[in-house]
Amino acid sequence: MKWIYASRACLMAAAVCVSAATGARPAGRVPLPFTIDPYPSTYQPLPRTDMLIVGATILDGAGQRIEDGDVLVRDGKVVAIGHGLKVKGVTVVDAHGRWVTPGIIDVHSHDGVYSIPSTSGDVDSSDVSEISDPNAADTWIEHAVNTQDPAFSVALSSGVTTLQILPGSTPLFSGRSVIVKPVPAADIHAMKFPGAGQGLKMACGENPKSFFGEKGRAPNSRQGEVALVRAAFLKAQDYLQAWREYESGARSKPPARDLKLDTLAGVLTGDIAVHMHCYRSGDLTTMLGVAAEFGFRIRAFHHATEAYKVVGQLKKAGTCVAVWSDWWGFKMELVDAIRENAAIVDAAGGCVMMHSDSATVGQRLTIEAAKAAAAGRRAGLNMPPEHIIRWITSAPAKALGLEDRIGTLAAGRNADLVIWSGDPFSIYTKADQVFIDGALAYDRSTPQRFPGPDLLLGRPESRRVPDPVSGRPEVEPHP
Amino acid sequence: MTRGWFVFAVSVLLSGRGAQAQTIAIIHAKAWTMTAATPVENATVVITDGKITSLAADAAPPAGAQVIDAKGRPVTPGLVNPATHLGLIEVSAATETVDTATKAATLGAAFDVQYAINPNSALIQLARADGVTRAISYPVSSGVAPFSGTGVLLRFARSGDPIERAGVGVFAVIGGPSGEAGGSRAAQWKLLRLALDAARTGLAAAASPTTRTPDFLALEPVLAGKVPLAITANRESDIRQAIKLAADYSLRVIIIGGADAWLAADALAAARIPVILDPEANLPGNFDELGARLDNAASLHEAGVSVAIVVLSGIHQSYNAGESMRAGAGLAVANGLPYIEGLRSITTVPAQIWGLGARCGTLAAGQDGDLVVWDGDPLEPSSAAVTVLVDGKEVSLVTRQTELRDRYLPKAGLIATPRRP
Repeated sequence: MKWIYASRACLMAAAVCVSAATGARPAGRVPLPFTIDPYPSTYQPLPRTDMLIVGATILDGAGQRIEDGDVLVRDGKVVAIGHGLKVKGVTVVDAHGRWVTPGIIDVHSHDGVYSIPSTSGDVDSSDVSEISDPNAADTWIEHAVNTQDPAFSVALSSGVTTLQILPGSTPLFSGRSVIVKPVPAADIHAMKFPGAGQGLKMACGENPKSFFGEKGRAPNSRQGEVALVRAAFLKAQDYLQAWREYESGARSKPPARDLKLDTLAGVLTGDIAVHMHCYRSGDLTTMLGVAAEFGFRIRAFHHATEAYKVVGQLKKAGTCVAVWSDWWGFKMELVDAIRENAAIVDAAGGCVMMHSDSATVGQRLTIEAAKAAAAGRRAGLNMPPEHIIRWITSAPAKALGLEDRIGTLAAGRNADLVIWSGDPFSIYTKADQVFIDGALAYDRSTPQRFPGPDLLLGRPESRRVPDPVSGRPEVEPHP
Repeated sequence: MTRGWFVFAVSVLLSGRGAQAQTIAIIHAKAWTMTAATPVENATVVITDGKITSLAADAAPPAGAQVIDAKGRPVTPGLVNPATHLGLIEVSAATETVDTATKAATLGAAFDVQYAINPNSALIQLARADGVTRAISYPVSSGVAPFSGTGVLLRFARSGDPIERAGVGVFAVIGGPSGEAGGSRAAQWKLLRLALDAARTGLAAAASPTTRTPDFLALEPVLAGKVPLAITANRESDIRQAIKLAADYSLRVIIIGGADAWLAADALAAARIPVILDPEANLPGNFDELGARLDNAASLHEAGVSVAIVVLSGIHQSYNAGESMRAGAGLAVANGLPYIEGLRSITTVPAQIWGLGARCGTLAAGQDGDLVVWDGDPLEPSSAAVTVLVDGKEVSLVTRQTELRDRYLPKAGLIATPRRP
């Protein structure tokens, strides 16, 4: 969604305007209420200096590999990439022997809501999902995020510069997502990516039907799930129609706001991107059918372990998949997961992203890509580093609607980038420095300069440092 | 003499045991023997009748041997997974396919998972294709806190029963996310001690045969120091309690988990208690793990503690039992563990911890012919096994996953896949 920026005062003014409205109004004067972010970002970039990174192996995220390359960063933006850039008055960062990539984007995170540490209090009331109803489209995950989750600082120290936090997959409509930068913050507003849209997490298959079915509630079957989804979108069509009539002046009084229908109407208008948890090939194509029926696009299927069986349909629908490299088997809908899934979808021309779904995997998305690419190579598919870096940079940037700001290293893009100690697809490589909007957000050589989460204060001393390995000798990767 | 007769004659000479000798030679290997810190380049490894008989650089393979050309690639002993649920889990969400736990109140230490092992599990097939040749499979929980039950040693030969030895050790869990078992860890430790005391009394010669209960019998080899008591614990206080327990009862104790183990490294080293840990654990998943850090393995090794590696969190402990332990070892190396110790942490050390050091875990002469040829650095997660030998025989690398891949690659409009070289 291209949020319409509105201060709370403006919103109130709009509300006054709406309530005072009688009779016909000029069309389009009041924006659809669900396209306004009532809780806008207060993010401010960290202190930054202009810099020239020189001598790096650059993977630009758009498919190019540049050896001995330079990157010029000014005012938080990438200004130029090339060879032998000569600029005065900027800090020069020597990156010879090191690699530079765009900041890593995790399109599927539960950081901040899957409580760490987990306690007995979270067993029945975790913040990852509102599970009192299969339709939780009215919930916004940003209202639950604990910014002190230690998962954020370890994500940052491993090169992640943007995350989409999604609610869990128990409800069919799981709620709205939020896109954040993993910077130190006392509240979510200071982490929110300015102007980024929202997603709606949806879920199909085993999770909703088994959870609600076991409680004797609907849905208890896949067909029940689809019926509820269709019924909800039928209502949303009417709701949207009513707002359209009001917007055009054909209706004098605004429809009563409904927070669930707000979200679904936002999906129908294309303002809210659908991120759908589904595994089986039949589930994927069924939900593509529902989307076509109601005229919206599913931006991405998440997990999608059988995407390799229906590559053609996914490609045709323009729907991406966000996948793991190797998770399989733990539920019936995952028994056909294979390690070549990402590579097959990619090689057939589909859109692929690696996702984490876990604070542990979220520290090693490069390794997820490396494993998935290696499986593809062994199956005879060409998966060079400059190509697969897109799975964790430009592809998720596009799925989040932020491709003009992040995900690639090109003039005008936000200077979200990582200087790696070596090939980012090796287990021995570390993120040496992580920049967000051109500001040094993490530096492995001086981790004590970067605050870890409040949770770890007063704990065993080492835990205060996000990356406890500083001070150890550099590892010699073994050939 | 025909060629066949020549082979026969050489085989007889080599084996000294008659006509059945089977010799296989891996040539051009970068052989990580584990007995040295560096590999033997261009090595020839000879395996006769399922045992390694020689390993030498630049040696010619014995005449008549089946030759596998490693083409300079790394060769290691088969991986030994020190703590998994292989053979006990198929689809974890389908509870009838899961045999890791019982609520039967009569079974504590005697909950013995040997009776549940499924040799046809797709998880075992994949683990073996990923280079796991032996594994300790153990239960999660029993009806008698804090015991989980009794584990089993598995070996994944080409065919046959994977159970190599039952009763390989007794397992217990202390603390944890909810502290369910026993309610309080004070109760858990006391119940554990009382169970050991009762077993000792009940098993005494003078006691009536009726006191030899299944749980007491399961604890008999633990009390005799013949098999270990493997305690899953993460908090420093529990690790120190485990050290005390081992001393008080003269037990062989193994720590599984050990997030805080680095805080008790010297005491663990002094007590010669090994740790099976997860190098990916750097976040406090619960309050027992507030000390979790990436260099736990390195710190413990520096202090002289034996470290074996397995990934415990998520699904990988069983679903990717081979790939994940390699990745975990690589991560431990990335965080300070010497490279050779990373390799040993998934081969030699787990073998030693479980009393298998004389059988497997190195490439020394006399060891079992369980070896893996890798297509790259074994500690890089993106590497894979290209040849796996168990008992001197090549095992299949075909899995459900490779068959699905080969069915759908052409359907995706892509070339049919070549077999692994």
